[in-house]
Amino acid sequence: MTIDRWLSRIPIDSPSAFMKQVPTIAGFAIAAIIALIPNGVPVTNVPLFWGGMGLVAIASALAAVVPWRRFHSEWTVVVPVLSLLAVALLRLGTGSSVSPFAVLTLLPFVWIATEEGRVNILIAAVGTFIVLFAPLVIDGGTRTPGDVVRAFFSPLIYLIVAIVINEIAHRMRLQVKAAHESAEQQQALLAQAVVAQDELVLNEARLKTANRLIQSIWNAVTEQSVIGTDLDGLIDVWNPGAEKMLGLTEKQVLDGKHHVIDFHLHEELEQRLQEMDARFTTVSSIDDFSALVDTVRAGSADVRDWTYVRPDGKRVAVQVAATPRLDENGHRVGFIFVATDMTQAREFARLKDEFVGLISHELRTPLSSILGYLELMRDDDESPLSEEQLQYLGVAERNAHRLLRLVGDLLFTAQVESGRFPLEIKDVDLGGVVSTSVESSAPVAANAGVTLVSEVPDRPVEVRGDPVRLGQAVDNLVSNALKFTPRGGTVTVALRPDGEQAVIAVTDTGIGIPAVELSQLSQRFFRASTATRNAVPGVGLGLTITKAIVTAHGGRLDIASEEGVGTSISIVLPVETPQPVTEAIPRAEVTK
Amino acid sequence: MSDADARAKRVVIADDDDDIRGLMTIAATRAGVEIVAAVDNGRAALDAVRAGDVDLAVLDISMPGLNGVEVAEAIRSDELTRSTLILMVSASVQLLTDHGVVADRSDSFIVKPFSPRVLSARIREMLELEEPA
Repeated sequence: MTIDRWLSRIPIDSPSAFMKQVPTIAGFAIAAIIALIPNGVPVTNVPLFWGGMGLVAIASALAAVVPWRRFHSEWTVVVPVLSLLAVALLRLGTGSSVSPFAVLTLLPFVWIATEEGRVNILIAAVGTFIVLFAPLVIDGGTRTPGDVVRAFFSPLIYLIVAIVINEIAHRMRLQVKAAHESAEQQQALLAQAVVAQDELVLNEARLKTANRLIQSIWNAVTEQSVIGTDLDGLIDVWNPGAEKMLGLTEKQVLDGKHHVIDFHLHEELEQRLQEMDARFTTVSSIDDFSALVDTVRAGSADVRDWTYVRPDGKRVAVQVAATPRLDENGHRVGFIFVATDMTQAREFARLKDEFVGLISHELRTPLSSILGYLELMRDDDESPLSEEQLQYLGVAERNAHRLLRLVGDLLFTAQVESGRFPLEIKDVDLGGVVSTSVESSAPVAANAGVTLVSEVPDRPVEVRGDPVRLGQAVDNLVSNALKFTPRGGTVTVALRPDGEQAVIAVTDTGIGIPAVELSQLSQRFFRASTATRNAVPGVGLGLTITKAIVTAHGGRLDIASEEGVGTSISIVLPVETPQPVTEAIPRAEVTK
Repeated sequence: MSDADARAKRVVIADDDDDIRGLMTIAATRAGVEIVAAVDNGRAALDAVRAGDVDLAVLDISMPGLNGVEVAEAIRSDELTRSTLILMVSASVQLLTDHGVVADRSDSFIVKPFSPRVLSARIREMLELEEPA
């Protein structure tokens, strides 16, 4: 081990009290050797000489044994102060004023002067003064004027030196402290940087994962086109689905020249603009792009059927959901158009319509024969039927009509589902509708032993609607009420105006419907448990159709029922229905 | 009274369903008209009308070959047969309305199932015939 490496292991920055005492111990050891060797420094006073040696030994022992770090730092100066007194005794024992060991004063003096606190300057100066002045007091015989002057002058110089040393030590301590603090701060910053770097690495990994997920999803969306634009409709996002649907690659489209309306059917945009023109719009200047995003600009998502036109001229029927595209602050910076190819769905709807038409035809044709020939039998004047035969014929006719109604109901339900709802809107007096329905149901009520009551006000209650469909709705409710009311009960059909509404309430004293089933009543083919329990005939289409008719007239169906007490179902219609909900087509029975 | 008024009204009936066609024939006979032909396809119906002097064609829409609409168009487009009245019959309201049958190509229509009494009355009404005693 080299001396440099050995010295480097000594804790110079914060030496212990014993380490500070080592130079003094070495000094006294050298002094002892010099005094004890033959022809060395003569020991003039043996007790004082050994007293000095003993005192420095005690001071050194205290420096080594006492755990000074546990005490306040000021107490540490006890060791050099004792060492100063030992130097004083050594001088007195080795020739007083002429003793060569006065120089040992420097070692404890420097220690005291370097300690923190201005008071140590005084301690160092006073201690030095005692060391230098003691021989003059105790050994008065050898005193000279020069000794006296030196005894006062030297401590003064020591005082100045102590001040300088103390200040330098103070500043060094401050610098060391600052350096320590700086090092600690750097260490803390380094630790933070390491943590931040770890987080950065982690976040980067997460970001890559998220990006990969988004990219996977993006690439997986091949059946919907996703087109993003800026606020003016210039395309800057084009997904694989758009490539597939419209036949252009992302590179071909994202050239800053393609506008989303380039892929729309111009006539549709114009038609939409005409519709918008009839109402308040959110833009002052109307252009084709506004036809696509007017609703989105107003703050709502817009889902609408459009036709895309590919560059090769091929048309694609699509349903487009247009939504705003927002930046990180929530400000709208463009639009997103997600389009689904509806070609197959519309083809399916067309096939369904065809199927419904076919079924309707195929079922109605044999029923036409059955009913027609039954009527011929009934009307045959040449060979009239017996009463019994007429009764049988009546049963056959009734069931054929029942089958016909069922076919009609199924067809009507299919029409409602496909959006083709036949309505012929005109002014309708609901009083007439109610009276007709009650009159036609009177024979059924009489057979069932149920009292059928009609409550119609004297003055007309008019709405805009289809009288035949409204009659069908009321017929359904009355038919249901009669079926669900036991013999001896009452069914009341009441019409009343109610402000801007007209209400037709059909109330019975029947078996009622459990409360938990009320919400399911207008579902197709749903039958209340009370209906199945009491074997009431029906298939569960009547209320579905009634609700569809009422809804198409802008009205609603209110249902209240209590099991064992009765049911009240009200058709609530607006007096002024703004427009037919679906396109009206002429009724079959109308003849030119 | 012209010759046309003096003779019995001549009617062609076309429906691919034998039973319905029979029913139509009975109803028309009860209306007091002469059945020129009762056929099961559109081509035969058109030929019968073109054969001459037919006052009314009762045509089902859904027929093989020429359908009722196509027969009606052919009758309307021919100068010789243009005056023949057309009564269209179908089980589908949609078919009657989708093709503009009511508005453009027929004089009246009736929906299956129909009452023979109603069909008789309709034929008499169209041909301005008195109700038989």
